[in-house]
Amino acid sequence: MSTLLVWKEQLQKIYARYSIYIMKALQFVLGLCVFGLINSNIGFMKAASSILCTVGLSVICAFLPLVVMVIAATALVLVHFYALSMPIALVSAIIFLIMYIFYFRFTPKKAWLVLLTPVAFALKVPFVIPVAFGLLSAPICVLPAAFGTIVYYMIHFVKMSSSAYKGDDAKSLVEGLMAFTKQSLTNKEMWVMVAALSVSLLIVYAVRTRSVDHAWKIASASGAVTAILIGAAGKIALNVHLSYGPMALSGVAAIAVGLILEFLFFSVNYSRTERMQFEDDEYYYYVKAVPKIGVSAPEMSVKHINERKEQTDSQETVLIDSRNVKQAAEVRRQPQQKKRPVPKPRNQVRKVDHARAADEILLTRSLTKELGLENLEDELNK
Amino acid sequence: MLDKNRIRLMTKMAQYEKTLAPEDLKISSYYKKDYASLNTLITAIWVTAGYALVAGLVILCNVDALLKDLTVTKLIFIIAVALGAYIVLLVTYCVCAGSFYKSRHNKAKQRAKKYYRDLSRLGKMYVKENN
Repeated sequence: MSTLLVWKEQLQKIYARYSIYIMKALQFVLGLCVFGLINSNIGFMKAASSILCTVGLSVICAFLPLVVMVIAATALVLVHFYALSMPIALVSAIIFLIMYIFYFRFTPKKAWLVLLTPVAFALKVPFVIPVAFGLLSAPICVLPAAFGTIVYYMIHFVKMSSSAYKGDDAKSLVEGLMAFTKQSLTNKEMWVMVAALSVSLLIVYAVRTRSVDHAWKIASASGAVTAILIGAAGKIALNVHLSYGPMALSGVAAIAVGLILEFLFFSVNYSRTERMQFEDDEYYYYVKAVPKIGVSAPEMSVKHINERKEQTDSQETVLIDSRNVKQAAEVRRQPQQKKRPVPKPRNQVRKVDHARAADEILLTRSLTKELGLENLEDELNK
Repeated sequence: MLDKNRIRLMTKMAQYEKTLAPEDLKISSYYKKDYASLNTLITAIWVTAGYALVAGLVILCNVDALLKDLTVTKLIFIIAVALGAYIVLLVTYCVCAGSFYKSRHNKAKQRAKKYYRDLSRLGKMYVKENN
């Protein structure tokens, strides 16, 4: 456990240092998922469904606010629907407009949450959404979760019955308009999933905000179980096409995601919980204090044994004269030559400057004459 | 000379100027009541348009059932239900929007006030340094 906490601290440090790049990378990955899923499922317009378009849109949206990605995804869906059939594009545009009017007009910055729900549905883990939103956000996230579910089922329905909506004559247009509206709004499976996600999210939020021990774990488990139960009830009562296996797997994934989120955002030590009671003039207070688990990541310090002082001491920019550098290099080289003299080859004849040697001999003689050292030299020779 | 406190203050203010300041200064130029009323009115118009779209889709879905055995009484009943639903939706949204925009105005006003206070603090710091 302590190792995991140290990893968490290190992850936090890495995120703090490279948050700009990490956010852009995550935005790019989300863009790839969203545009890739749209193009692979309803790529009716060939030009817009190419891999180049997917990657290009993802790159562009990675450098722009997330609202732009929502607008681009909406436009891409409408373009594909328009390529298939005019009525489908019209009804879809109206549904998107209704979503904007009733929710996104108030909180446009949270509009990107609606993108996560279809991605979770496509990855077969829809119950992760209510658990994640319930743990980290507010009950208002019911709306983006519900709108995301409607968008996913709308796209899924068009993918399944695209051939039935092809046709250009006026009669087929009107019939298509009515049929698509009816099918997309009276889809029982869609409403069962909307109910499952909404109720589950509210339960997760309600349990998570209680002061009971292990509230986050209980919230994750209860949210996942509620979603599975509502899905199962819908399957039995309304005979919708929901399988128990994928629902159970989705529930397990939701609990796993809940545990990960708890570890990342709410790591507390319940064994050291303290309960206090005190009062003032107006109230009695019953306080429960749960300490956070705090582990400081070990910092690696590298000690340089043979570190040069010139490099560490000189922090300021200094103008360097090349002549001084040469002189310093020569001075540094000379003691090395003294320590380790280069061996001379034996056979090589020593070069002697005869003129200089003669001058030195003459100078020595004149000095000995002047100083009267000749007699002394003779005596020493004897 | 570099003053750490002044640099901290300037960084905080620059961050605010870059993110929330334009919207906050625009909101604080209104009185709270005016801002909330104007935006509630705009919301009412949007909700009316949205309701018309939803009603249109519902009618398109159930056009066969609605037109089957249509009588004047049934028509009046349908119109009354639609009108009642519209009024309930409109009132709910207007009340929620009113409180939402009032709270947004309060928050924006507080942030703008703090920004102006920081601005005057910064001015005093410069005056102190020059003296």
